[in-house]
Amino acid sequence: MPDKMKRPDVKLVLLGDMNVGKTSLLHRYMERKFKETVSTVGGAFFLKQWGPYNISIWDTAGREQFHGLGSMYCRGAAAVILTYDVTNWQSLAELEERFLSLTDTANHDCIYAIVGNKADLTDPKAHLSRTSDGQPEDQTECEEERTEPQVLSACPTPPASPASLSGVMLHKQVTHEDAVALYGRILRYKGLDEKSSLPAEKVCFETSAKTGYNVDALFETMFDLVLPSILRKRHENQESPTVDLEDSQGAHSRKARIGCC
Amino acid sequence: MSVKAFELVPAVERDLLMGDKARINIECIECCGKHLYVGTNDCFIHHFLLDEVTSSKGKLSYSAQKLLHKYLGLKKPVAELRAASALERLIVLCDGIVFLVDMVTLETVPSAAGGGAKIRSVTAFCINENPVNGDPFCVEMGVLSSKRRTVQIYMVYEDRVQLVKEVTTPEQPCAVSLDGYFLCLALTTQYMILNYNTGTSQDLFPYNSEERRPIVKRISREEFLLAAPGGLGMFANAEGISQRAPVNWSESVIGAAVCFPYVVALDESFITIHSMLDQQLKQTLSFRDGHILQDFEGKVILASIKAVYVSVPLPLERQIQDLLVSHRVEEALILTEGAQRNIPKDKFQILHKRILQQAGFIHFGQLQFLEAKEHFRKGQLDVRELISLYPLLLPASSSFTRCHPPLHEFADLNHLAQGDQEKVLRCKKFLISYLGEVRSTEVANGCREDVDTALLKLYAEQDHDSLLDLLASDNACVLADSVPWLEKYHKYFALGLLYHYHGQDSAALQLWIRVVDGDLQDSTRSDLYEYIVDFLCSSSNLDLVWNYADWALRKDPTTGVHIFTKRPGRKDLPELNPDDVITYLGKDSQALILYLEHLVLERRIQKEKFHTHLAVMYLEKVLSLLSESSPDEVQLTEARGRLQALLRESSLYRVQLLLGKMENCEQLLLERATLHGKLEEHDKALHILVHKLRDFPSAEAFCIWASSCRDSEYRQQLFHLLLGVYLDGSLPANAQAAARGGTGELEMAAVDLLNRHGEVFDAVQVLRMLPEGWSLQLLRPFLGRAVRASMHSCRTSQIALGLAHSENLQLLHDRLKERKKPIFVSKKKGCHLCHNTFSEPAVVCLPGGVPVHTHCVAQRVTDSPTKRQLTNSSNHT
Ligand SMILES: Nc1nc2c(ncn2[C@@H]2O[C@H](COP(=O)(O)OP(=O)(O)OP(=O)(O)O)[C@@H](O)[C@H]2O)c(=O)[nH]1
Ligand SMILES: [Mg+2]
Repeated sequence: MPDKMKRPDVKLVLLGDMNVGKTSLLHRYMERKFKETVSTVGGAFFLKQWGPYNISIWDTAGREQFHGLGSMYCRGAAAVILTYDVTNWQSLAELEERFLSLTDTANHDCIYAIVGNKADLTDPKAHLSRTSDGQPEDQTECEEERTEPQVLSACPTPPASPASLSGVMLHKQVTHEDAVALYGRILRYKGLDEKSSLPAEKVCFETSAKTGYNVDALFETMFDLVLPSILRKRHENQESPTVDLEDSQGAHSRKARIGCC
Repeated sequence: MSVKAFELVPAVERDLLMGDKARINIECIECCGKHLYVGTNDCFIHHFLLDEVTSSKGKLSYSAQKLLHKYLGLKKPVAELRAASALERLIVLCDGIVFLVDMVTLETVPSAAGGGAKIRSVTAFCINENPVNGDPFCVEMGVLSSKRRTVQIYMVYEDRVQLVKEVTTPEQPCAVSLDGYFLCLALTTQYMILNYNTGTSQDLFPYNSEERRPIVKRISREEFLLAAPGGLGMFANAEGISQRAPVNWSESVIGAAVCFPYVVALDESFITIHSMLDQQLKQTLSFRDGHILQDFEGKVILASIKAVYVSVPLPLERQIQDLLVSHRVEEALILTEGAQRNIPKDKFQILHKRILQQAGFIHFGQLQFLEAKEHFRKGQLDVRELISLYPLLLPASSSFTRCHPPLHEFADLNHLAQGDQEKVLRCKKFLISYLGEVRSTEVANGCREDVDTALLKLYAEQDHDSLLDLLASDNACVLADSVPWLEKYHKYFALGLLYHYHGQDSAALQLWIRVVDGDLQDSTRSDLYEYIVDFLCSSSNLDLVWNYADWALRKDPTTGVHIFTKRPGRKDLPELNPDDVITYLGKDSQALILYLEHLVLERRIQKEKFHTHLAVMYLEKVLSLLSESSPDEVQLTEARGRLQALLRESSLYRVQLLLGKMENCEQLLLERATLHGKLEEHDKALHILVHKLRDFPSAEAFCIWASSCRDSEYRQQLFHLLLGVYLDGSLPANAQAAARGGTGELEMAAVDLLNRHGEVFDAVQVLRMLPEGWSLQLLRPFLGRAVRASMHSCRTSQIALGLAHSENLQLLHDRLKERKKPIFVSKKKGCHLCHNTFSEPAVVCLPGGVPVHTHCVAQRVTDSPTKRQLTNSSNHT
């Protein structure tokens, strides 16, 4: 937490419809657990120390109300993780209809990943958590500490998918091929050549924030992919040092009212 | 739970402002140092002097003094007021007109000759707090006009305003903020950043300004705070990037300001305070009819319609302490670390350390030891703070007093654990591991005694294995404090180690002896007795050794004597005088024997005294065994074995003395034979062996032994002697021997001797000695070997003779050759062997005519006896 003061080297943004599990994915990766979430208000960000680099990861709000903020979050992003829910076809459609245009403000060499979350609901193999640290994951951990009524959020948390209660496999509405196809269309939208871009199999993931399946792989792949971007940015900063925007103190000292009474 | 970060303090109360006039409302405020200006809806400006008053209890309040009020003559509300203190002007917006007013007199400034001091059709304006123009007597201002979709940039001087730039906007702007060249604008449907110098713009995000009042608040250099849809407070920098996560306000937010690290916002009925560090809502203050919230030089001032308040931040430390009191450690640390840049470095470090320490204790209280340790480490906690929580651990001599104000709320461990022994135990285990880790680091600098003593006490109490390691290595345990503690827990062995460490070996030994003797109970070492012996063995204090060896020997002489026998021969250890030891051991024959064996057999000390003493001791032992009615055969054999070995091997003891001691003892014939052998009375010895003991193998062995270091002639004599003894005894004339009926036996012994050791004998002499009647067949092996040997020696000597002869000829030849030329001997030339000069004419010539000293050659020849003399004398000069 104290590291929040550090200047991030690069920005990664999670986009996607509400309820697809963006916040849950980040929690799983950063805190290594799956806990109850409230629908995100506005946005939140985390700083991840990746080797010598600081990577800021923005969790955006999927709710329509905050849609307008998306472009701003994406501005200068080195990677965007477009997230959908494998049990919800609409969530994939929304990526193309609503979220893709938000990425216009991202870096020209921005990397796109397409992530189908909640794979545990459709795919038995996603129950085996696949984490890089090799530790057995507590798959069912749910921190039910929020017993007090949540007055803050205007929109109540949508109930968890019914399948997660019953434990029955749900029908998978979005296949991996659908995601790959979307990736192709995104490249076309961006005017990118499919051959010179990252292959779909490298950037199309199916994950489960609940079991941890593929979550580390997703983030670590992304970090590795943005590394060149970090290096280029550092290099540019050396060439032309820019002002430190964090330095709010400097501003106070330069006041219009000089020689104040 | 929340933090108390701010307090609302009234500054100007209703009475002072408007008395009983009910319809007067506050429209705008401006504060500049102590000067507070209030604009009202009846077109007045009120000027107050605001003084901070701190009560004796440290409570802050404000006293406002009204200096002046002035009607501006426009009958419209005063919409906005801004001070330009360097110009001594107030910039006023009233009835859509911006104009200047004198800060002191509140008189409107008339237009100067060169240009106007008024701007018309203005909806809003802002001052550039990060001006681009270097003139201190000029203020930059951004102005929104109701007529055009533009933003105008003006320079404001003492008596005039000057338009410097006008930029058009895609939509009607309704709120503006200015930083450097960057305009942050709220347009009808969105926010945008506009660089008025380059004209480049950046859309931020959509916002319906007609539906909800936009907020555009510059919060720091090139960073703005904006009201966003859904009641968010969004941060955006001049590049259009959000670098902080948004805060979550209500939809009806009216004004906002940043007072690091907090975002203070006002809505209709509340003031909300969010932390910029974790975006959390930290405090909510109820505030009715809220109207204005603005920050002036870091001071947040609020106004309702009727009165003015100051939102006074509580001292950071108070806030942090409040957080800590409610155990919100992480938040407290975030707040502390977030405030780093607002606090001078050294002050911050002190504060940060303290907070870390407090945080550590909070974790500690919750038995979260890992976190506690980490915080203690980062906070560089004086370990004694922690130790002092545990009753009685700190030594009485410690000068430590807990820091004040205290770092935690606990009186001691019992208070913390509330009687839960399990908790106490876990805390103790933690302290053990913690102290163990830090004792050799700089953390323990200056308080090693306290740390080590505490550790010792814990180890003792918890029956921890490391107690001994601690005491056996370098440590700073305080003796006075540790003694009663170790006694209490019956750690006498450990206590002894501690005494030893403090140079009190005698105390250590006394204690240990009491444990071995069973007066005290401590099962640490089952081999404590051996330990004591070892300890004495390597003690450098000889008095101590003499004092306690007695006890050790009494306990067990065989082990006890190790004190003397196992003493390592190190330089730093003083040696024991063997005579002293022998005198000391005097009464104790068992220990004495062991010690003498140590001297004679192990250290091989070549002193007659010890050897004789040992031999006598052995003998006495044997004699005492023999005197028993039914001697233990095994013991006896062993004892005799030792005696015999010594008698044989050693040649230092006094033979006569021993012989005297066993003269009458018919059981020790073998020993007597050995002694006679030592005296070279071989005939006596052999007589005993052959006639008394009739032990022929021993007799043979005797001959070999007695001649072992002698030349072959000596050995021959002995063997002849033995043969003689055999033959004499076998002669029929020798009636005595014959009577014993052993004639044949002796003859056989003689034959065997000859056949086995034929090479030793002089065959000719033997043949003369042998009785006539013996068959050749009987002596065949002996004779065969004798003939061959004599043949062999005859031929060998012939070869030697021949070789000598030829060598002699060679030398003669050399000599003749040398004789022909003179050999020079001078004082300048050195001898080839010793390199000294010659002083006399007599020299020896080596082959080749090299002159050398006579004595050098003599020396060389004696040094190498195998070498035959190669030189010939010469008298040449
Ligand atoms: N079964 C299952 N449920 C998940 C998974 N990930 C998230 N959820 C559930 O989905 C719901 C929404 O998760 P969030 O992480 O809050 O979704 P979000 O994308 O952040 O939503 P917004 O913040 O509103 O945009 C929660 O009830 C989660 O418990 C998953 O991998 N498997
Ligand atoms: Mg979310």
